[in-house]
Amino acid sequence: MGKILELESVFAGYNDEVILKDISFEIFDDDFIGIIGPNGGGKTTLLNVILGLIKPYKGSVVFFDDIRSDRNNKVGYLPQQNKIDKKFPIKVKEVVLSGLIYGSAFLGRYSKTEKQKAEDTLKRLGICDIKDTTIGELSGGQMQKVLLARAIVSSPRLLILDEPNTFVDNQFEGELYEILKELNKEMAIVIVSHDVGTISSYIKTIACVNRNLHYHKSNKITEEQLTIYNCPIKLITHGDVPHTVLKQHQH
Amino acid sequence: MILELLQYKFILNSLLAGVLASISCGIIGTYIVTRRMVFLSGGITHSSFGGIGIGYYLGLNPIITAAIFGVLSAFGIEFISKRSAIREDSVIGILWSFGMAIGIMFIFLTPGYAPNLMSYLFGSILTVSTLDILLMSGLSIVLILVFSIFYRIIVFVSYDQEFARTHKIAVSLVNYVLIGLVALTIVLNIKVVGIILVISLLTIPQSTANLFTKNFKNIIIGSIVIGLIGAFLGLVISYKINIPSGASIIFSLVMIFLIAKSFQVIKRYFNLKNQKM
Repeated sequence: MGKILELESVFAGYNDEVILKDISFEIFDDDFIGIIGPNGGGKTTLLNVILGLIKPYKGSVVFFDDIRSDRNNKVGYLPQQNKIDKKFPIKVKEVVLSGLIYGSAFLGRYSKTEKQKAEDTLKRLGICDIKDTTIGELSGGQMQKVLLARAIVSSPRLLILDEPNTFVDNQFEGELYEILKELNKEMAIVIVSHDVGTISSYIKTIACVNRNLHYHKSNKITEEQLTIYNCPIKLITHGDVPHTVLKQHQH
Repeated sequence: MILELLQYKFILNSLLAGVLASISCGIIGTYIVTRRMVFLSGGITHSSFGGIGIGYYLGLNPIITAAIFGVLSAFGIEFISKRSAIREDSVIGILWSFGMAIGIMFIFLTPGYAPNLMSYLFGSILTVSTLDILLMSGLSIVLILVFSIFYRIIVFVSYDQEFARTHKIAVSLVNYVLIGLVALTIVLNIKVVGIILVISLLTIPQSTANLFTKNFKNIIIGSIVIGLIGAFLGLVISYKINIPSGASIIFSLVMIFLIAKSFQVIKRYFNLKNQKM
């Protein structure tokens, strides 16, 4: 199992305000990490550091090469849906294909291999029938699958999802986690969620971010742990989605 | 009437200007509309008036100084809004009025009467010079080249900048190049419809085309065609009843939009009716 990424004593934030303090964190192949924590605690900041969208004030972010594959430094990213302009005139297949553009390779057209890759990814997620649809006509769940297709079409070594369970219904949420479980055989997954209940049965480990980071090497968290780590999150499970039974707690 | 008109060089020039304006505005307008940069473009338009004032004061061609001024304020808006704590729309508002103020100051400081000032405010396609035509042709060629060679990346970055950044794409470079082209398109089309009306050439054809197609490339092509019809109709109306061409072009464009919109509404109504039966 290779190491993909290592953060060492990272301090980061925006406009000179430090949000993340002294974070050290490692991600390995096969990992399925759930990042939880209160709003404003720095979940998104941590994602932005990993994605290279912001530079840390202090500390280092190092990606490790995998000698067995050419997927190095490739990170698949699924942003929060509300960051996407749904009126933008673009078709589903164009969105998915755009996930293949990397670095300076932006001249010209998509090759036959690339088109095939996009087609395969659409088939895999069961959304081949909407490939010519404009994104404005999609439902929340369909849109999420399209964005997931864009994130994984380049076969990244690491997949990062920012609140994928917002704007979708419970049934889709269950379906999404099943897909992720399947994908986890090929890539490491990091998922950010404010709603720990439903994800806790799928993830392997939990990281709690509240300015600092507390990494639990298990997917079970107890109320005591939450209190100790000062991690005020809600422990609620929804619907009939399979879930790990969490410790009894008072609401 | 048309044959009789074509005998005059200025009529030929203005028709050519109409064609070139439709091409450049069709392309850049689609970028502006899909990226929701209409207010920003309004800011660049009005701040370029500062360049026109400076041009008058220094005795240079106002279009050249406006182009420099417009591109610099566009870069300024892009730079300040991304880096500082000031909100982007506030930055636009400040530069919008600052440019106008500079323009008014320099025009009043210029001794004597400012000729053609009205043509910059309201446009005068009939007084388009050969230099204007050359500049507009150059711009159209550059835009066609940039948008065909870099089409993929322009759409990619416009759709989701953050995602493009995670794919190590030079998003800032793309943004700066395109906002520079936006400024140049605005300034070079000021002669056609004027500062006050130029924003409409960048939005009305696009909104009309967008009624019928939801594809970036088709919106560009549709906007160019609609722009051409609007420019031609506007010129004819302007000639017939002797009013400024800028106003008659915009009037024609809005009429085309309204006709297209009602056509769509009626079509939808009948489709619904048929489904019920």
